[in-house]
Amino acid sequence: MSRKLMGAVVALGLSATVATAQDYPAKEIQGIIQWGAGGSTDTVMRSVTPHAEDALGGTVVMQNMTGAVGAIALNYVVDAEADGYTLLMGAENPMLYKIMGLGDEDYSAFTPINLLARGTPLLVANVDAPFDDYAGMLAYIAENPGELKMGATGPGGLPSVITAMMNTVEGELDVIAVPYDGDGPALTALQGGAIDVMPAVLGAAIEGVRAGNMKPLLVFDTEPNATLPDVQIATDANANYATYLPWGPFFGVFVKNGTPDDVVEALTAAYATAAENEEFVSLMDGRGFTMMNISGDEATEFLTKWQQGTAWLLDDAGLTQASPEEFGIARPGE
Amino acid sequence: METLLAILTVFTQPQLLMLVGVGTFAGIYIGAIPGLSVTMAVSILISFTFSWEVLPAISLMVGIYMGGVYGGSRTAILLNIPGAPSAIATAMDGYPMAQKGAAGEAIGVTTVMSFFGGLIGILVLALAAPFVSEFALTFQPRDYMLLAVLGILLVGSLSSGSLVKGIFAGAFGIAIGAVGRDPLTFAERFTFDFKIMEGGISFIAVMIGMFGVSEALQQLQNVNMKSVRQKIDRIVPSFGTIRKYLPLSLQTSSIGVIIGALPGTGGDIAALMAYDHAKRVTKEPDVPFGEGAMEGLVAPETANNAAVGGAFIPMMTLGIPGDAVTAIMIGALFIHGLNPGPMLMIDQPDMFWFIVGALLTANVFMLIFGLTGIRIFTKIVEMPRSIIIPLILLLSIVGAYAVNNSITDVYWMLGFGVFGYFMRHYGYPLGPVILGVILSRLLDDNWRRAIISEREDLGRFFEGIVTSPLSLVLFVSVIMIFVSQTPLWTAMKNRLFGRATT
Repeated sequence: MSRKLMGAVVALGLSATVATAQDYPAKEIQGIIQWGAGGSTDTVMRSVTPHAEDALGGTVVMQNMTGAVGAIALNYVVDAEADGYTLLMGAENPMLYKIMGLGDEDYSAFTPINLLARGTPLLVANVDAPFDDYAGMLAYIAENPGELKMGATGPGGLPSVITAMMNTVEGELDVIAVPYDGDGPALTALQGGAIDVMPAVLGAAIEGVRAGNMKPLLVFDTEPNATLPDVQIATDANANYATYLPWGPFFGVFVKNGTPDDVVEALTAAYATAAENEEFVSLMDGRGFTMMNISGDEATEFLTKWQQGTAWLLDDAGLTQASPEEFGIARPGE
Repeated sequence: METLLAILTVFTQPQLLMLVGVGTFAGIYIGAIPGLSVTMAVSILISFTFSWEVLPAISLMVGIYMGGVYGGSRTAILLNIPGAPSAIATAMDGYPMAQKGAAGEAIGVTTVMSFFGGLIGILVLALAAPFVSEFALTFQPRDYMLLAVLGILLVGSLSSGSLVKGIFAGAFGIAIGAVGRDPLTFAERFTFDFKIMEGGISFIAVMIGMFGVSEALQQLQNVNMKSVRQKIDRIVPSFGTIRKYLPLSLQTSSIGVIIGALPGTGGDIAALMAYDHAKRVTKEPDVPFGEGAMEGLVAPETANNAAVGGAFIPMMTLGIPGDAVTAIMIGALFIHGLNPGPMLMIDQPDMFWFIVGALLTANVFMLIFGLTGIRIFTKIVEMPRSIIIPLILLLSIVGAYAVNNSITDVYWMLGFGVFGYFMRHYGYPLGPVILGVILSRLLDDNWRRAIISEREDLGRFFEGIVTSPLSLVLFVSVIMIFVSQTPLWTAMKNRLFGRATT
């Protein structure tokens, strides 16, 4: 075992070997995961990729490269050769780099291989919070301005988008946004009572909700969620949410633009097969993710729509560093 | 009762037993190499064990974790390069012992005490997990902040010599920790618009440079000096020695379990706090601290291994990781179709007891592998300096590169190595720098969370401290420790008690 482990370690270090490519893949493929080990993106990528390896008949060595909201990983892949031997395994964050002043590149420099799944945002509350539903929370905020503590994960994160959505739809909510490193630490703080409510991706909160350690208030979707069928949906609470929903973080595998077409085809076929794998699908269901498994034009269209909606929502909320206009991101519907 | 039998699952399947053993063995060596971390090894194992059953995969990971936490002490004692951040305190007294020819004894004591600490951690996990996790959840941002302040006060016990220089070094460490994009607002801090600074400075690179490279440079000065002959007759510590340190090790193990169970703090902070505790309660050590005091080995090593059991407590009871390694293990459980969360212990108690059993087994393997092969290891210190110095440099470079596969980290590491050399030269202690880097984020993030939660109102902030028993205890401890370190206190003590006794 330890020899194999050493092999893996060495492979991580010496991934850039010279190749004389006849058929793809002729050598190990490097998969750069934008987020840390154990996180959602990491779990999804490490679950789907072994199935893709089987379909592809090659090896994908995955490596976590964290930092700067994933920009370090993105820049690494942008700087690599467009030969299909360096994959970017990421989440939605790069779509906002330009307007948040986090970088000069986003997924427009990439060709989507597969957009695997998307998450559904869920608003949860501490069990001892003095309200049990979304309307109750709004009433509480109105009566106690500046008292409710809402978890956040920094500008551009899921909570900031959901909060901006709520402020746009319901009018400015006077709450305290307490920033955390990610939804994991924030949900821990929610259970300890350090914050009262938190918008989080359903998969991260579901186990706590099932155990009765937190109260679900609202599912940010246009249709009831199969995992939490009894929880109110946003468009029922306020029809104006329909402008922005469905919305959610997503996971995708990308290669740099300019990668040879046959390589893109081979990878797309492999990941499309992998995403249909039963084990993977049931894992995603269990974590409350909605499978997408889209590629090509369909994926590009999804990305464009996602970026337009989110960028302008954040810009209208005054959270951006630069206007989406500067980067040619059109307002949705224009 | 039937579920309790799951604790023995490891022994009923020879394959599992072997995997725990192999994992522990590999863990010791991965832990010993600076830069190769347990976190990294476990995350590689996730893909590696993907197609396995869940029990073998967990067995291997548990073994690596237990062995790795212990392994960090090896290079700390022999080469003065902590193999992992949790072994920083071990280097402070372990290396001086090796320099006196007692490397074998130091490793022996470390091994037995790591075993003891590990055992306490596992026992607490097995018997009191729900209570401890409930307690850990009550820590609010202000409590984490107070804990970090308490940690900063360790500067006093980590700096031999000038306290002023120690404070400078600590502050420097905090500044290093603040470099990069602030994770809460993404604002750039101390980056000077350089792209490479955006991601911050790798803390492991700083540690390896400060300890490893600066040590190599230091040794260059006496490259022709004969190396110390090692006595290897006393490896397994006598029963008397163990009994002597039993009370201390119980206290430091408790520190380890609690700090380990807190989400957001881990073995590194636990070990440093335990070292400080040992220094405080040991009135008359046989050898002064920093020159090879046995207590200085016992405290951090019991604490960091006790923190392993501690880290599993919130993971098993709530699905909340106690540290980076348990965070990855939660991911691994997901991949294997389990849903780690508050329901895991209710739905699948077998899993909980299996992990307890695997941890116990790994702990025993750690003792066995740790106590064998010490003779060969101590030979490392006996090697001529002309071989050992290049070896240290090589290890440092490989280690720094391995953390993120980034050559930038190697440059940082070398830069901090040279800087650390000059710091040593002018009598600035290096321990506080690392302490500062470790605590920087904990202090900064939680202070801001705490004050934002109170609508940036200091009055409400202090009201919160006074009305919460936990915060109050931490706050009073901070004040007491702070005052006890000032000259004012010594003067007052002399006036109050000095007169009475004479």
